[in-house]
Amino acid sequence: MANVLEQLLNALALAGLLFLVSAGLSLVFGILRVVNFAHGVFYMLGAYLGFTTVALSGWFWPALLVVPPVVGAIGALLESSTLRFIYRRPPIYQLLLTFGLALILEESIRVLYGPTAKGVDPPPLLQGAIDLGGVLYPRYRLFLVVLGCTVGVAVWLFLRKTRAGLVIRAVAQNSEMADCLGADVVRVRTLVFGAACALAGLGGVAAAPMTTAYLGMGIGVIVDAFVVVVIGGLGSIGGSMAGEEE
Amino acid sequence: MRRRDFLKISVAGAAGTSLLAAPRYLRAQGPIKIGMPAALSGSYAQYGIQAKRAADLFSKDIKAKGILGRPVEFIFEDTAGDPAAAVRKAQKLVEKDGVKFLTGVALSSEALAVSAKCPEWKVLFMSTINGAGALTAKSFHRYFFRVNTSGPMGARAISLYLAESPMKRFFALGSDYAWGRDSAASFTQQITAAKKDIVGSDYPPVGTKDFASYIAKIRQSRAEGVYLALPGQDATIYMKQAHQFGLNREVKPIMEILELENMKAVGDAMVGAIGSSRYPFTVDTPKNKEFVKRFHELHGMYPDMFDGETYEGLEWLAQVIAKAGTDDVEKVIEAWEDSTYEGLEGPFLMRKCDHQAVQPGFAVECVKDPKYPHPIPKILATYPGDKVTPKCRTEEFS
Amino acid sequence: MIPSRLWALAALVALAVVPWVLARHQLSLLTDLLIAGLFAMSLDLIMGYTGMVSFGHAAYFGLGAYASALVLLHFAQPVPVALLAGALLAGAVAVPVGWFSTRATGIYFAMLTLAFAQFLYTVAYKWRDLTGGSDGIAGVPKTALFWGGPSLTSPHAFYFVVATCVVVSLFVCLAVVRSPFGRALQAIRENERRFTSLGRDPRPFKLVVFVIAAAFAGLAGALFAPFRGFASPEVMFWVFSGQGLMMVIMGGIGTLVGPILGAMLFILIQEVLSSYTEHWMIFTGVVFVLIVIFLPGGLVGTARRLGARA
Repeated sequence: MANVLEQLLNALALAGLLFLVSAGLSLVFGILRVVNFAHGVFYMLGAYLGFTTVALSGWFWPALLVVPPVVGAIGALLESSTLRFIYRRPPIYQLLLTFGLALILEESIRVLYGPTAKGVDPPPLLQGAIDLGGVLYPRYRLFLVVLGCTVGVAVWLFLRKTRAGLVIRAVAQNSEMADCLGADVVRVRTLVFGAACALAGLGGVAAAPMTTAYLGMGIGVIVDAFVVVVIGGLGSIGGSMAGEEE
Repeated sequence: MRRRDFLKISVAGAAGTSLLAAPRYLRAQGPIKIGMPAALSGSYAQYGIQAKRAADLFSKDIKAKGILGRPVEFIFEDTAGDPAAAVRKAQKLVEKDGVKFLTGVALSSEALAVSAKCPEWKVLFMSTINGAGALTAKSFHRYFFRVNTSGPMGARAISLYLAESPMKRFFALGSDYAWGRDSAASFTQQITAAKKDIVGSDYPPVGTKDFASYIAKIRQSRAEGVYLALPGQDATIYMKQAHQFGLNREVKPIMEILELENMKAVGDAMVGAIGSSRYPFTVDTPKNKEFVKRFHELHGMYPDMFDGETYEGLEWLAQVIAKAGTDDVEKVIEAWEDSTYEGLEGPFLMRKCDHQAVQPGFAVECVKDPKYPHPIPKILATYPGDKVTPKCRTEEFS
Repeated sequence: MIPSRLWALAALVALAVVPWVLARHQLSLLTDLLIAGLFAMSLDLIMGYTGMVSFGHAAYFGLGAYASALVLLHFAQPVPVALLAGALLAGAVAVPVGWFSTRATGIYFAMLTLAFAQFLYTVAYKWRDLTGGSDGIAGVPKTALFWGGPSLTSPHAFYFVVATCVVVSLFVCLAVVRSPFGRALQAIRENERRFTSLGRDPRPFKLVVFVIAAAFAGLAGALFAPFRGFASPEVMFWVFSGQGLMMVIMGGIGTLVGPILGAMLFILIQEVLSSYTEHWMIFTGVVFVLIVIFLPGGLVGTARRLGARA
């Protein structure tokens, strides 16, 4: 019984992280029709920037707030300087472009941080393990469960209940029609791409205390995220949540 | 336009070369070239970079006198840890640059691929990093020399230490590839021979991000120690998570290799782990103290295992070339066989039968020391070379 | 028509003459480039002519390499036997994989081929008794051209084996795409629905071309193993599949010759850059992004466009 509880929590904690990555991947596919190979690298970028923020400030919490917007801004910048020009091409070109971007980003991080993994300590509040009826369970992983659920609900509410969410869903359904109806499709695409990167960045920051920030973490997570997204149905956020339960 | 660029480049090139070159009178015979097809990028870059750091220090140390009065030139090529690229780069070093000595290869798969080609190319392959037992057993040939402690030798050192410890029950966790499985098998065999128990074993795939289920399994097995043969990154992640689960307090982590890189990345959660070390920089010999000092001056950090092992290899190679009086590969091989060398950690002997360097083995513990910015390896036990070196051309011990 | 024939003749003459001009290491590099070129060309057959983007083509290269390595190492057969074994094994494995994968199209086809390739990679990685696991199979010899013949250890001899294979494969592939079968493939690429509505089932066509492409990739792998002397799981890894796609795009999709040139350019860029800087991946990435944005037709497509304009 205790074992089952532990396994369940492990699955939820990992699912929380994976959700942050696959939600963005799914969003980008749904709205931009792009399979973003570089998506995992933004997760990695989040982890490394998280390391830097913690090292500079000595605190973990600021990293959680500061890093995602920065990663998102970098993502939006890359989208508007490269991807924007080739949306009319067959999908393979976009996939390959993001492959190139992934190479550039991954190596740049290596140049800046060196080849060694960077450890990040969890905040003091979340260090150590907590006794859950006979099971010693790390507090930090419980935090990941909470974080994943909170962000999941927030994204869902945003897409369903706000006007911006409505526009995004409209573009996803039929971008030409949305364009005719006065939605700024170009801007929506850039913002959605940025937001997806920010989500991945958040995942990266949150993952760092558990896995450390290391080279290759982006490639590792992207394969898992692809599986999640394909199982859950490309382009649907709800699907990406459900896909992880597997 | 193009012509001017070309001129610029060649001027810069000439300036660069003359800066690197030794005094003019040495240049008559041309330099002794050592090729390093090393993993300088990709996931295994830390090992290639250690080899490069050692080579940088060595070229600085040898610059004044050279080898046989000739300057030493290192040529680096990046393999990114891919065996196909490693063979291609090695072939380029041999055919284009005319190197007679190859070293600095990081991964065992790369080493096996490159080494197999060396008899055809008639160049000497010096391993300073590669652990695979097969290199000096099944895949051995006379152009191959291993200066470093091999994987089976590392497992032997820590097994000897554990045989005398009060711990009785062990769990073996090895990465699911050649090195991890071989190390776990070697450890199991030796621990059983010492009349102790292996109460469980498992093989997580390389690149595992979540060790929670393995941690639960280890806890349930009620082992007193867990033997870990995980490559750099995976070991780092495992140690972090085991610490968060509070496992490290209950079950002693025993690492196949206890690296400085891991200690730096994991930090305090690593303290208390024991394991074998190919070269712990804390070895208390006058020669090593000098080396660590020079290394720190040049690179601003303390040398890791393969910084030390590669430096020893280069120094020994230089000594052997000097003894042979030529850089002719066949003569160097003859001069190296059964020769001795005073390494950083103690005496080395190059066995003629399988070209494995017989050298001391270490069991170390990760400890905190206020003198250093990160945890360091403290030597628990030192074993003489004949106790930790396997029987000739085998991976077995008597 | 005439200029392209002249080009072909010039290329053939060049391939025959260069070994006597090039230094030894350059000849080795050229051999390597040709093998990569054959791999990229085989990918173009399905990608460029049928519109099926496979993200797992390296698996067939790897299967060819393993088959060839095992035949040469354990049975000491002549090189052509190993080449045949490589092509056959790759083609045979492609039958079930193709049968499943061609049920999907577009990005789903890419993902399915990737999944199968990763599965084959895992088999190569784990089946240690046969494949040597992560250590791979080293020491693969270059045996003779025929039973009792001298072994092909001289760089020139092996170069000519590779060059012959590449030229013959190119002509076979050109013949395939110009045949009625090839026309059907291009019709599928242009509009699969219309093809179906004409009362024909596209799937057998797709399956056959998938198997042909895999067999040629297997041939490339079978040349690789004796040339480099080893086979290891890395040659089956998805990264290599991705690089194959890059080679095709760089050279010009749907041109067969283009991907050969693209593969050569791709490896040359890596070769040159990585000798100067460890950060060559950044530059490769930049070059690649620029090519995707500015030269969608790749080398050959762009050259043709310029030629047409002039």
